[in-house]
Amino acid sequence: MASVRRDRSERLWLRYLILGSWAIVCLAPMLWFLTIGFRPRTEIIVPHPIYWPSWSLDAWRLLVSDWPIASYLRNSVVAVAGSVVIDLVLAIPAAYALSRYEFRGREDIGFYILSTRMMAPAIVAVPIFFLFKNIGLLDTVWALMLVYAAINLSLVTWIIRSYMLDIPKELEDAARTDGAGDLTILREIIIPACLPGIITAAVIAAIFAINEFLFTLLIASTSKAYTMSVALANFTGGSDGIIYNAIALVSFLAFVPILIVVILIQKHLSRGLTMGAVKG
Amino acid sequence: MRMSLRACMWAPARLCRSKPMASSAHSIKAVAPATARPSTGTLRRRSPRMRSAFPYLLVAPAVLYLLAITLYPGIFAIYQSLFVVRFVKWTWAGLDNYERILQDAEFWAALWNTIIVGGLSLGLQTVIALALAYFAYRDPLIRGWRIIYLMPMLFMPSAVAFMWKLAFNDGRVISDLLMTIGLTHGNVDWLASVWLARLTLIVADVWQWTPFLFIIFVAALQGQDQEIEEAARLDGASWPAIFWNISLPMMRPVIVVAVTLRGIDITTMFTNVYIMTQGSPGGATETMSFFIYRQGFRMFNFGYASAASVLMLAMTILIAQTLVKRAFRSGRS
Repeated sequence: MASVRRDRSERLWLRYLILGSWAIVCLAPMLWFLTIGFRPRTEIIVPHPIYWPSWSLDAWRLLVSDWPIASYLRNSVVAVAGSVVIDLVLAIPAAYALSRYEFRGREDIGFYILSTRMMAPAIVAVPIFFLFKNIGLLDTVWALMLVYAAINLSLVTWIIRSYMLDIPKELEDAARTDGAGDLTILREIIIPACLPGIITAAVIAAIFAINEFLFTLLIASTSKAYTMSVALANFTGGSDGIIYNAIALVSFLAFVPILIVVILIQKHLSRGLTMGAVKG
Repeated sequence: MRMSLRACMWAPARLCRSKPMASSAHSIKAVAPATARPSTGTLRRRSPRMRSAFPYLLVAPAVLYLLAITLYPGIFAIYQSLFVVRFVKWTWAGLDNYERILQDAEFWAALWNTIIVGGLSLGLQTVIALALAYFAYRDPLIRGWRIIYLMPMLFMPSAVAFMWKLAFNDGRVISDLLMTIGLTHGNVDWLASVWLARLTLIVADVWQWTPFLFIIFVAALQGQDQEIEEAARLDGASWPAIFWNISLPMMRPVIVVAVTLRGIDITTMFTNVYIMTQGSPGGATETMSFFIYRQGFRMFNFGYASAASVLMLAMTILIAQTLVKRAFRSGRS
């Protein structure tokens, strides 16, 4: 026993050295970037970096006066929320079938759904651009909503499927002998029992949708459909150069709510991120 | 890797209504004890044909939606790749686009850059995440570490790209820090050298996405059977030996799934290239995604861009059919 204890204490300093170092690597750039959000523009791009700025709310004033932050935020929320709703409506029945029924081609259909996750956005970027151009949805939040839904559908289906597989069959069988139909069972038993999975899937899909960049860049060509993610990149235009302090401030405004939601679903995160393949 | 059926146990009470559910399930059970029917989902009171069609009806909407957004673009891309497209004018070109692209040094450079930048970042973040996960998973402060390490991943990728652009190039912070510790003299121009430019992309990707692997590895380690490790430790095995011979082999299926998923995302790298380097210097940081974007939406060579898309799609399908299928098969068992 003594040797065990010695072994532990010997590597305890190493453990905290490594863990602490990475914590600094994570936090230091973020804290520095946070100071960028609260400094005047004259102290950002300078020959010698300034680490302790003269604090200012310039970026905030710019955001509320010049920049239609409300409309970009609304675009983001509408497109993301809509896409998550579409995903859930399509994914829950599909996941139910894939987890609960034996049918020919089940494995292949499941894998086809999974494989759409692997497609690089760039591969379909040109055709999708023409598709929305032809049906007149270019530069609208509706197009963004449809694209976000497509990007995340595989993920949402597989996460929910994984949680449904964990529900004991006896629950269903009992209800079935009670005379409940399949859709009743789905609504009354399966969905409530895998609610954590559904919430996890929705949160992860929402984060991916908020972050989506390439499609949004192509589809939202004017500020009419800009989302937060692409509106940030729009700061680069014009004679002012990149307005870093506004970018920093906006990114933290978006970061805080995401962090809170993710902390709430923390336990399910590893399972969600691997689309159900790894159970926490 | 032990994957037990604990779904509702880990649900936080706030999120999961499993408690009332379980009790109502018990009441159902009490009425009709589980002498029930076989558990393959059977439809009652419906014709056999309807019964066998039912699961297909359930998956149909999702599959049709995905087909519309993958198969249609796929066919469109193949069709368009056979033309030279100049604005609205499409001129039949046969396989010319493919012939040109296979001789296009920029295309091969983009493929190579994607592999080298993606491979290096993936390797680096896998090693870092494994080390961190191994040291953190039994630590009393694991919840705190997890939240801190998670943060970079929750930042908008476009904001992260701007952050590193400012740190490396516009704000000269990294140069300044390197000068302070005496590693360089004078300002470093990160976009002037091929490897330095690639390094900035790798740093940005590793910083943001190591958490992805860390979270998964920690979960895998926590789910492992602790007794084997404990026994080895009592036998006097050193911790590196325990890590190499016990923990790592047990984690293998999880590592394969996680690294495969991360690898897929890395090969699509676009945002950081678009914001940080725009492919410079001289195309040394241009990835496949950026190549397609540049050909299509900067130079308006849509036919050419589509040919590149088709080639990339072919590679994706090849990888999906071999690597990913196997990874997910083994991950599930």
